[in-house]
Amino acid sequence: MNDTNELHIEGLTKSYGAGEPVLRELGLTVPAGALTAVLGPSGCGKTTLLRIVAGFLRADAGTVRLGDRLLSGPGVHLPPERRRIGIVPQEGALFPHLTVARNVAFGLTGTDRAERRRRTEEMLELVGLAGYGDRMPHELSGGQQQRVALARALAPKPQLVLLDEPFNALDSALRTGVRSDVRAALCATGATAVLVTHDQQEALSTADLVAVVRDGQVAQCASPQDLYRRPADPWIAEFVGDAVLLPATVDSYGTARTALGPVPLATPPGGPSAGTVLLRPEQLRLTDTDSEGTVRGTVTDICYYGHDAMVTVTVEGHDTPVGIRVAGPLPVSQGEETGIRVVGEGSLHRGGGLRG
Amino acid sequence: MRRPSARRITALLAAGVLLPVLAACGADNDKGGSTEGGDSALVIYSGRNEKLVKPILDKLEKAVGAEVEVRYGDSAELAAQILEEGERTKAGLFFSQDAGALGALSREGMLQKLPQSSLDAVDEAYRGSEGDWVGLSGRVRVIAYNPDKVAEGKVPDSVHDVVKPEWKGKVGFAPTNASFQAFVTGMRVLEGDDATREWLKDLKANGKTYAHNLATLDGVEAGEVELGLVNHYYWYERVAEKGEDKVNAKLKFLPGKDPGALINVAGVGILAESGQSATAQKAVDYLLSKEAQTYFADTTKEYPLAAGVTSKVEGLPPFDSLESPDIDLGKLESLQETLAMLQDVGLV
Amino acid sequence: MTRGSGAGPGSRPPLILLVPACVAALFALLPLGYLAVRALERGPAFAWDVVADERTLQLLGHSLGLTAVVVGACLVLGVSLAWLTVRTALPGARAWSVLATLPLAVPSYVAAFAWLSAEPDLAGFGGAALALTLVSFPYVHLPVAAALRGIDPAQEEAARSLGHGPLRTFVRVTLPQLRPAAAGGALLVALYVLSDFGAVSLMRYDTFTRAIHTSYRASFDRTPAAALSVVLVVMTIALVAAEARTRGRAGHARTGTGTARPAVPTVLGRWRPLALLWCAAVSAVAVAFPLGTLGYWLAVGTSATWDLGGLAETAWATFGVAAAGAALTTALALPVGVIAARHRGRGARLLEQAAYAGHALPGITVALALVFFAVRYAYPLYQQLPLLVGAYAVLFLPVAVAATRAAVLQAPPVLEDVARSLGRRPWQVLREVTVPLAAPGVAAGAALTFVVCMKELPATLLLRPTGMDTLATRLWTETGAGSFAAAAPYAAALILLAAVPSYLLGRHRT
Repeated sequence: MNDTNELHIEGLTKSYGAGEPVLRELGLTVPAGALTAVLGPSGCGKTTLLRIVAGFLRADAGTVRLGDRLLSGPGVHLPPERRRIGIVPQEGALFPHLTVARNVAFGLTGTDRAERRRRTEEMLELVGLAGYGDRMPHELSGGQQQRVALARALAPKPQLVLLDEPFNALDSALRTGVRSDVRAALCATGATAVLVTHDQQEALSTADLVAVVRDGQVAQCASPQDLYRRPADPWIAEFVGDAVLLPATVDSYGTARTALGPVPLATPPGGPSAGTVLLRPEQLRLTDTDSEGTVRGTVTDICYYGHDAMVTVTVEGHDTPVGIRVAGPLPVSQGEETGIRVVGEGSLHRGGGLRG
Repeated sequence: MRRPSARRITALLAAGVLLPVLAACGADNDKGGSTEGGDSALVIYSGRNEKLVKPILDKLEKAVGAEVEVRYGDSAELAAQILEEGERTKAGLFFSQDAGALGALSREGMLQKLPQSSLDAVDEAYRGSEGDWVGLSGRVRVIAYNPDKVAEGKVPDSVHDVVKPEWKGKVGFAPTNASFQAFVTGMRVLEGDDATREWLKDLKANGKTYAHNLATLDGVEAGEVELGLVNHYYWYERVAEKGEDKVNAKLKFLPGKDPGALINVAGVGILAESGQSATAQKAVDYLLSKEAQTYFADTTKEYPLAAGVTSKVEGLPPFDSLESPDIDLGKLESLQETLAMLQDVGLV
Repeated sequence: MTRGSGAGPGSRPPLILLVPACVAALFALLPLGYLAVRALERGPAFAWDVVADERTLQLLGHSLGLTAVVVGACLVLGVSLAWLTVRTALPGARAWSVLATLPLAVPSYVAAFAWLSAEPDLAGFGGAALALTLVSFPYVHLPVAAALRGIDPAQEEAARSLGHGPLRTFVRVTLPQLRPAAAGGALLVALYVLSDFGAVSLMRYDTFTRAIHTSYRASFDRTPAAALSVVLVVMTIALVAAEARTRGRAGHARTGTGTARPAVPTVLGRWRPLALLWCAAVSAVAVAFPLGTLGYWLAVGTSATWDLGGLAETAWATFGVAAAGAALTTALALPVGVIAARHRGRGARLLEQAAYAGHALPGITVALALVFFAVRYAYPLYQQLPLLVGAYAVLFLPVAVAATRAAVLQAPPVLEDVARSLGRRPWQVLREVTVPLAAPGVAAGAALTFVVCMKELPATLLLRPTGMDTLATRLWTETGAGSFAAAAPYAAALILLAAVPSYLLGRHRT
């Protein structure tokens, strides 16, 4: 059953009025049963994408398929109510005039009453809110409202669930809990899900697959690990996490010469070349100033997070300060000199552009 | 806790809305049949106030032996309505407060020529020049005065005198009142536009304006002004209501065919296309009858115009003793220029 | 981004809304069709001659001047009372709030008459402005009070924490958010002033409406009246467009599902006596004074006949016909209001403007228009109750449209998206989500319409079934005969009957 729930988007184009197009021939495939995050900065077109998939907007061109059904295409526009796509909007958007149970049962039409009741209770149990059916939405906390919204979306067994920044309004303490509950509930139902977000941490930690959208196109679609470790370009690298980007020249042995010394490359180019080397802050280590093979720098700032800390160091020969993630006790304090050593391999990106 | 209360209000309102709607529809259905009645039924559009004429129209219903429905409104608005209805008008008879509205219908050819017998019942001056409407009762313009403030002998004999400097701030009048405007129109016919305009300017400088005749009379009564330009019957109504000893103000009927002594009439015309002519004609005959004319004399305190009835209201000068100006009432039909003049002078 | 706009700028409203909305708009445009026929009866040159007159310019100045002053005064009264009753710890706030809606029930001619009999020198611009302000400021008060209840107090608290005093906070944070509500109310006030005849005729202030009446009355000529009415329509369109501009792109403030936390009432402190005095003064002149005048008429007059049976019968008939008018008006306004709230774009704007187009026309013109059409195309309905009810709908459609639009705007559009995604068709969404959520606001609009239907006079006189009386026509009959004491019970009944919905309106929380 799930095999037919693949979402396949091709050549999607949309512009509002005469302005710049918001989506430019966007293509994306969301595998059945997976939770895929659509990640992008605000204004990148991800909300437009979601509204087109849900059927609230018509695309100018392109197709949207769900399983073997064509939802949108030339001359085809299935109305939202016939798409079998559930949505979980920001802040839940429960119907304030209906009880929790009636909210959940809202999409259950065409079944008898007993079945509706059973399904409603099942769904509320799934999201951990059994027994809340008689409450009104305003009597619930934000996290509870969000869970009810998910139960409501899942109740009619949709082929696809769209989550529109659903954790945005929750405070960070609640967020982690709700997020894992949602993941668990989605897993339990095996629904294909798309999570739209601008929060890279949320995307990396929640999704099976992350599609980064930039300027109306998918810039990269990969598993969270691949995306973090092997971003397609420096812009993505910076967008999905803290990055240290170093201009480099590569010698014929495949080693990059950078301000932090020589850095081995994961996939060295065939011959000498130049570009930008990407390292993650956790690939840098603080050492004694006189250790062998280290570069010297001065600590300019320390952000302490408890489980780790981000130490900012200025290095001679490199304009931008470098971030170093340090786990455990801090060996340095602000203003001190320190040595820096690179661990592991960097990835090389052609062209020097640091920011997208 | 909020939602349920809002919902309850909604439900209450909905119930409140629906119940009377149903009731009203039901009531409407009850009436439906009677309006569609046979050709013997008569619909009267009355520009005269219900309070004044309902008793006599009730009697009229018996007299004509047919069902009579009366639609009350403002004379001018009813005339506009009849013009808009055209050939499909529901009105069989138009009972107007003044000659102007009847004249407007006459000009559009909507009124039926009356039989000579009806026309001959009243003086030629008080019927339509086309013979398609006839006056029923008259009211005369007078000067009301407060005897505490001004001696009887000092009251002006002419409206020309009230604009003299000695009456500055002492004259009350109601410039928006139709009778006042008819009087100004009469003055224009008699004395020309320039003289009338001058007179109005002087009156504005001298006078104090009121919303209507009755307020003017009250102003005289209370001594706010010493003189008031009004119709005669308001005073007699007040006397009838309060008793003569309780009414302070007195009336002066102007001599010498002064324009200020103009007589306005209320009258009727039959709508030619209504298909109710026979009953309407009976109604006209009744309204010109002794019974109806006596009603106008006794109850509305007007001057009856037909059937040889004379008013028995105490203190009211006989109709033929009035020295009213000779004016073709037909010429009063257009008030447009009068209003333009009043606007020009800044009175309305 | 266009998040939550429910439908994109170009999207077409569903047929289930579009068709009835077009019917409502066509209905509202009937008077304009009539005006076109009548104004051009004697050729465009004649109509142009009527309009292209020095006097037109003068009337324009008068009408616009009066409108500007009354709208300004209504904004001051309406906003100040709304703020005092909704957001401060004013003693008896709820009672003041009800008192502030009651003046709606006072017909403008009663207010004008009361003032004129107390002080004849008020006649003219000042008196007209006074009487009109005192009967129409609830049009501003009601929507502004509702908007004040809906504003999240967190924003005001933020402003206070940024060092703004209460007054600056009100001016810089609260007031801008009230702008759409206040502008909507101001538009209704403006159109009411333009269309009013009762007050300006008694106060003898020459406006367009009065000139139109004069044309009927003096020359029995409908062509100049129609030509002048066209100018009123043009003014209306300009005003509606101006109001639409003040709306700007301001959308719905809260998209959340929870209700905003109730605001902590501002403590008035040493201003309390002054605030109380202000509320008392407004209530005194707008409610107590006309009621007192009625009492005075009763006390001094002898024409009073306590025909309680007749009074009750008339009150019941009035209640019925006004309720029917409110029901039909609300039903017609619903699709227009929903489209106006949910769809941008030219078509949606035109629909809404069509609903307003005839609202500044004097009642007599609208009534004659309906006479014209009914006699020709719906003769069996002529002078029957349904036509009168229809006339109320044409006259007061904008009142209900404004309320519906505001109510729908309060309901987050994302809820409709969710309902669609859960398998509901557009009409089901309307029935199950939009209407239930907007119901309190729509009901408030219906109550408001009910009150204004009840006091309507000129159209009622021309279109009522022969022999039927409402409180307003009875009042007209009695005052026309000079029987003010006899008129007083009818006027009092009118105000009392209106007090019920006014009370509900004052209680209504959005």
